[in-house]
Amino acid sequence: MSHKKLLIEPLRKANPVTVLVLGICSCLAVTAQLKPALVMGASVTVVTALSNFIISLLRKGIPNRIRIIVQLVVVATLVILIDQFLKAFAYDVSKRLSVYVGLIITNCIIMGRLEAFALSHGPWESFLDGLGNGLGYSLILVIVAFFRELLGSGTLLGYQIIPQSFYEAGYQNNGLMILPPMALIIIGVIIWINNNKTESK
Amino acid sequence: MKRDINSNGYIFLYSTILVVVVTVLLTTASLWLQPYQQRNKENEKRIKILEAAGVFEDGNIDLIEGKLPLYLVNDSINVVPLHGKGLWGPIWGYLAIAPDGKTVLGANFDHKSETPGLGGEITTEKFQSQFKGKQISSDGKYIPIEFDAITGATKTSNGVKEMIDNTMQQYYQHEP
Repeated sequence: MSHKKLLIEPLRKANPVTVLVLGICSCLAVTAQLKPALVMGASVTVVTALSNFIISLLRKGIPNRIRIIVQLVVVATLVILIDQFLKAFAYDVSKRLSVYVGLIITNCIIMGRLEAFALSHGPWESFLDGLGNGLGYSLILVIVAFFRELLGSGTLLGYQIIPQSFYEAGYQNNGLMILPPMALIIIGVIIWINNNKTESK
Repeated sequence: MKRDINSNGYIFLYSTILVVVVTVLLTTASLWLQPYQQRNKENEKRIKILEAAGVFEDGNIDLIEGKLPLYLVNDSINVVPLHGKGLWGPIWGYLAIAPDGKTVLGANFDHKSETPGLGGEITTEKFQSQFKGKQISSDGKYIPIEFDAITGATKTSNGVKEMIDNTMQQYYQHEP
């Protein structure tokens, strides 16, 4: 596979969320607003890319019997580092993401890519693959958060988008959008559109 | 000479080295970032105290070290730090009391792990604003504050009540 394909494919054709249906849990939790979704997406992208890179570098020396443990240690270390960084430099976002930063460790996308890709490919390819998958995850996160924040709170990144005159005319924010189930429904719609388009080709 | 990477000796050596490297890395990061994190925490505490006191411009906070800790905002409003138990973990907050020591000016609560949407509601404006203007003492004696509990979060609501009762009783006993 060419390098470009490694990076582009996970965005749509092999998207970890909509095609492989991994990492759904955190999609529900952090997408009520756009800002935490962006930070979460960036964090997961950094972790997948770096862990893929590191595991790929180590892959020839890792004893087969403890390879899952080694993978977990590497991922956990990266996640703790990111958690500490967020606490130091983006405190309010880290408070809102709360346990979900820690739960990146259990995100299926990361372990899945390590097992399926990094253990059998070179460091550079693995890094691109991790980057692509992280971005694919972030893309879905941002799309879901966009609709949930716009329709649920009438804002984007905290700025008022829907004008006050709409509210005066009787428009109301959709309270269901704020609740977790709506994230599943939006993801469902995205999967539907995505499948429809890829199959017709 | 090629080592067998699946021998027990190699596995022990490998995991030992890995753990040592990771430990050193995490300790370094933690030591380096601690001052920044500490500053964020103090900043948040400051904002919380000012919010409880209802002062939104830059207020002046002094810590009075007596038998019991007390914050003095703008040299007049007393802010009492509270610590208590919720359903799942610790809850804490600040209670601002008018200079005459009789009425509550405002309250601010936070929690570690209460259920979002139920016990977690104690951080909302709606819950906190009902403390505004409540009478807290007469003749230098503490009288329990009455407030509306959160439906479905009885344990957390009771936790808030106990937290306020326990702390304030001590304050009025020691320094009326």
